[in-house]
Amino acid sequence: MVTAKKTKKTHESINNRLALVMKSGKYTLGYKTVLRTLRNSKGKLIIISNNCPPLRKSEIEYYAMLAKVGVHHYTGNNVELGTACGKFHRVSCLSIIDAGDSDIIKSLPGDH
Amino acid sequence: MVKFLKPNKAVVLLQGRYAGRKAVIVRSFDDGTRDRPYGHCLVAGIKKYPAKVIRKDSAKKTAKKSKVKAFIKVVNYTHIMPTRYTLDVDLKDVVTPDSLVTKDKKVTTAKEIKKRFEERFKSGKNRWFFSKLRF
Repeated sequence: MVTAKKTKKTHESINNRLALVMKSGKYTLGYKTVLRTLRNSKGKLIIISNNCPPLRKSEIEYYAMLAKVGVHHYTGNNVELGTACGKFHRVSCLSIIDAGDSDIIKSLPGDH
Repeated sequence: MVKFLKPNKAVVLLQGRYAGRKAVIVRSFDDGTRDRPYGHCLVAGIKKYPAKVIRKDSAKKTAKKSKVKAFIKVVNYTHIMPTRYTLDVDLKDVVTPDSLVTKDKKVTTAKEIKKRFEERFKSGKNRWFFSKLRF
């Protein structure tokens, strides 16, 4: 493993920041819309769950590399990411368009 | 946050008759037009890749092996895989949106693109673009 196991504190803070984005910012959920936001350069941060199929994960990372957008690999599967977004369905990847009051974009892209 | 679907970008077509073929974006319509209310672009691609030329080949054989067949197409952004490569071939004056209206205009445009692609291939640059994508 490249990084040590994510501490509980940073994991919670990501969840808190995500909740704030859901409340105050703009975002889209789902693979198709994530690619669309990357293509029209509206996406600012991409979050991918850990059980996203590897081909799809590589594809999103490649698009993000072309668009120079940060990608965060969420420590949790799509069920947990859906819960973190406050939704009752699974979310495998999401794109944050406008962070609103949250500082998730400034604080996250340090790690990849 | 950088727009990357710009002219001269090399892409791979994912759907349709030309799936798996490499192409270069000539013109991009990010917000669509009235007929096509989605993001799309005009691409010029390779229908038939040039064969592998070896040193042993005679001049006649080299000429035959370096033939490229080109196509032009308007394609949706979702049916394209962008790559990190670019191809600086000036095709803007040749490929215009109205060159896709009639069949004979299409053919003449494709012939002109074919010529430009062939000279680029013979110069030895952009090798990735002229190699067939194996899948």
